[in-house]
Amino acid sequence: MAELSGAVTDYDHEIVPSVRRTHFLKRVALSPGGAFGLAVVAILVFSAAFADVLAPYSPIKMGVGKRFLPPSPGFPLGTDEFGRDMLSRMMFGSRLTLLIGAIAVGISLTAGMLIGLVAAYRRGWVEKILMRGTDVLFSFTETLIALAFVAVLGPSLTNAMIAVGVAGIPFYARTCYSAALVERSKPFFEATIAAGAGPFRLVFLHLLPNVLPTMIVVATLGVSAAILAAAGLSFLGLGAQPPQPEWGSMLSGARDYFNRAPWLMVIPGIAIAVTVLGFNLLGDAIRTALDPRETER
Amino acid sequence: MTIRMTRLGRTLAVAAAIGVAAAAAAQARDIVWARYGDIDTLDPHRATSTLSLQTWSLIYDTLLATDATGAPVSNLAKSWTSNDAGTEYTFVLQDGVKCHDGTPLDADDVKYTVERAFDDESPSVTQASWGPITNVEVIDPHTVKLTLESPFVALVPFLADSFSSIICDSNKDADSFGTSTAIGSGPWKLESWTKGDKIVLKKNPDYVNFGKLAENKGAPYMDGLVISVVPEPQARLAALKTGEVDIAEPPFDDVPALKESGELDIVVAENTGQNVFWEFAVHRPPFDDERARLAVGHATDAAMAIELIYGDLSIPEACPVSRGVFGNDQDFCLQYRPNYDPEKAKALLAELGYGPDKPLETTMIVWTGGNRQKLAEIFQAQLAEVGIKADIEIMDIGTMNARVRQENETPTGKGSMDMMTWSWYDPDILYALWHSPGAYRGYTSPELDAMLEKTRVLTDPDERKAAVQDVFKVLLEKGIHIPLYTPGWEWVFAVRPEVEGFKVAPFVYPIFNDVTIGES
Amino acid sequence: MWRFLGGRIAMGALTIFVTTVAVTLLIHLVPGDPVQIMYAQSQGTTPEQLEEIRRNLGLDQPIHIQYLAYVGKLLHGDLGYTIRGHQPVLDVIMQRLPNTIALAVAAMIVAIAIGLPIGFFAAYKRGTAVDTGLMVVAITGVSIPHFWLGLILLFFFAVELGWLPVSGTGPLNIVLPAVTLGLSNAAIVARMTRSSMIDVMRQDFVRTAEAKGLPKRVVLSRHVLRAGLVPVITMMGLQFAYMMGGAIVVENIFAWNGVGRMAVEAIFQRDYPVIQGFILTFAVVVVCVSILLDAVYALVDPRIRRA
Repeated sequence: MAELSGAVTDYDHEIVPSVRRTHFLKRVALSPGGAFGLAVVAILVFSAAFADVLAPYSPIKMGVGKRFLPPSPGFPLGTDEFGRDMLSRMMFGSRLTLLIGAIAVGISLTAGMLIGLVAAYRRGWVEKILMRGTDVLFSFTETLIALAFVAVLGPSLTNAMIAVGVAGIPFYARTCYSAALVERSKPFFEATIAAGAGPFRLVFLHLLPNVLPTMIVVATLGVSAAILAAAGLSFLGLGAQPPQPEWGSMLSGARDYFNRAPWLMVIPGIAIAVTVLGFNLLGDAIRTALDPRETER
Repeated sequence: MTIRMTRLGRTLAVAAAIGVAAAAAAQARDIVWARYGDIDTLDPHRATSTLSLQTWSLIYDTLLATDATGAPVSNLAKSWTSNDAGTEYTFVLQDGVKCHDGTPLDADDVKYTVERAFDDESPSVTQASWGPITNVEVIDPHTVKLTLESPFVALVPFLADSFSSIICDSNKDADSFGTSTAIGSGPWKLESWTKGDKIVLKKNPDYVNFGKLAENKGAPYMDGLVISVVPEPQARLAALKTGEVDIAEPPFDDVPALKESGELDIVVAENTGQNVFWEFAVHRPPFDDERARLAVGHATDAAMAIELIYGDLSIPEACPVSRGVFGNDQDFCLQYRPNYDPEKAKALLAELGYGPDKPLETTMIVWTGGNRQKLAEIFQAQLAEVGIKADIEIMDIGTMNARVRQENETPTGKGSMDMMTWSWYDPDILYALWHSPGAYRGYTSPELDAMLEKTRVLTDPDERKAAVQDVFKVLLEKGIHIPLYTPGWEWVFAVRPEVEGFKVAPFVYPIFNDVTIGES
Repeated sequence: MWRFLGGRIAMGALTIFVTTVAVTLLIHLVPGDPVQIMYAQSQGTTPEQLEEIRRNLGLDQPIHIQYLAYVGKLLHGDLGYTIRGHQPVLDVIMQRLPNTIALAVAAMIVAIAIGLPIGFFAAYKRGTAVDTGLMVVAITGVSIPHFWLGLILLFFFAVELGWLPVSGTGPLNIVLPAVTLGLSNAAIVARMTRSSMIDVMRQDFVRTAEAKGLPKRVVLSRHVLRAGLVPVITMMGLQFAYMMGGAIVVENIFAWNGVGRMAVEAIFQRDYPVIQGFILTFAVVVVCVSILLDAVYALVDPRIRRA
């Protein structure tokens, strides 16, 4: 199996792309990390999609059970300080988690790829300006950009998601730019230009597909980073606002009750950790599957 | 190898640090008081937060003081008189009072303080509380006369409040006044203020207690007082238990357990005069219509909410001025207050065109601390039950005051309501709040103005009571000032058992003059 | 080397310039009238007084003049006054900035002290179960939210066991926040060290050294380590920025008196001069440290030194 895929990659995607893709997905699913990651994503998506139907109670209704009930029959994850069902809150929270990942990464990916591709394609002063610009943004970590956003626009989950998305742009732009440069320097690319292909065709039909595998890895790992960043903001009170059942803000709210009801802090924390771990492992598995040289490591 | 060196170096550094900490602990004891936040400034003219106010009361002194019932008594001012019209007040000061730098405290310092409060370029933020003072005259070093444009009875209780702290004029030339310099004549001298961390005070050996509520008539018994910032309630509790901290506000949920176990003494301030109430931005929809305001009143169950959060430490309040203040009468107020009745709330909202698919949207502004965040969440849920969607915004009290005024002055935007709070000894506070133009530029009307003016001039107690209760009726029936509970902020203290003599004066001013610390 | 450094300094200057522009614009992006917000607390201010204040602050000038005025004040060390309590912003920041930097440095020491050996060891044992095991630990470390880790450490060590103090700014107080911040980053350092070491180990000059018959340990310490450390140093600049960002959250958990806690409080208080000052300070510190680390990198990497 390994030798076969090794031979295939030497010719890039020109030869038998469909065969390579099937092998790739299988490889991801068969590796232990990949399997775990896929399972986590599957559970998350399932929970988010069917929360309305599966959750036993409304996530915001207070007093459905006695306050501070530990995990017990009737309330598998217990109740919080207002008597709200933790299981329902966690399920609806998974929806927010997925949303955060999708929107933040969506913003970073789209804007980042646009910048990276244009810079790699155009070269010259366009390239210099774009890359210097992203370098400047690099100095500001996500938390700082998010703070600035929230300071101006006010605390809200939407603002936090946008802030995390914008803060991620430099990294995605740089990665896409590096990957695109590699593609651009390949001989077949010059040949295509000589053949008279226009810029759109070049960028979207040739550069983009070759950059995509790297960007998929980056995006998958980026989802976990985005979830952590947004959870951190909500923890500070700058992201999700009550009564939204976002896991980071649930963690923050549970601080006062550590002695009385430790599960209120432990459950959201584990959920975030497992989700992030899942996406990280998945991203690593995809990267390994895409680059067979990795298997040597 | 470099890596091993770093590890060794690190171990040595930690060991040294532990040694230093142990040595420091062996020195003399200061009282350590931990609070959830820091002061804004040491300058009594530049802030309004309780955290700042409590600190000023330790560093500075005031012309008058309050007794245990909250009535004004002499303090720095040995005696005072006013003319019949109530437009001139003459104060005779005590002899031999010294400022922290040794200079005498005399009429010049009073003049300096008042003129500074009224300074054209940078007036005090509480300038209006002094009243319409037009002139300050130093008659002799111990006598000072204030002239007002019109009568202002509220001046007298104000002079007992730390907003009117007498600032020694030796502060005049210091650039760093309010930042690292604060010369007053109070029981404690400023040693340092590390912003965000702590304020270190040392006792003032020359202090004489003329009127404050401490039994000790001289300088405090303890050498020093450290006021530190510990924002997390659980962290404060842990620090209390280990002895790192002597006095602090505990997490409310733990108070019953603490009382039972007796590990820490729980001190609850009395006569706080605090009133926490709903008020609204009435100059724009939806709260320009009284039915929307009353709907909020009917939708919120203050008793249930505070029971959950504060247990028996706080009680629901029906009147716009709280228990202990002149005019308060729960039965009377309950007749006019929009009491908990969710069906009535829904009916009122329906009249206005709101329903399950068209919720009434509003911002709910609440201030930080005291578990109010959780309280607000309960109210939010109660409002949601009747179809009001409230977004909570939490900010500290100074910012909230500014924001509420801003909301009142903005003609457009989402509805806004806030959980406001005031504490005062006399129903005259209602004049400050609701007589045009109004403390926050909120609801005013000529009828209400006339009624409030009546309460200021009537001298017969029964007549005044009737007039005050007329005002209550209007405020309650129109949903302008919907009282929720009392007390509401910083009135609960957990004290380590070896600390004796700690007490809290009216208006939640902690007094440390009598404190002694035994062996733990 | 000087050309390299010169380029880096120019980039740093550009970053700070962009930051000052962004920070000046910040106050105008806020909905509402900034002067009203600032003085609404004071009940006595008349509209005329507000106009006067507006004129004093220069807020009625066109934006480019405001920018120049702001930069002018900056060069004199005047960052304005806080809205709450009228304290000079520079003082407020300077009293706390050393604490944040101390925390970031301490966290970096923790991260490197733990991550470097782990990454190195994993690279040494690459392909074995030890390697996989260590990398699993590392990836789990990256996944745990540092604010959660911080809370757990706080409750366990300070509240329950009482081994470490709960609040304050003493030397013992830095242990928990530094460990919290450092552990999260140690995992990243470990992974990056491992990759970089493996890259170096596969290069020709290492194989040559091995072929020469040098014992593996000598090869490792003399050749691999030195070359492998170069990318790690490069990474440290970014790591420091990360630490500063992470400090914002960690400071809030442990009530560590640094600029991160100040910034979050300022946001809740809508204290814009403080927020502006904070953003500017953050950028300046990160840029300075990056340039410093770049200088170290330039000295260490002979390819650059000779250039």
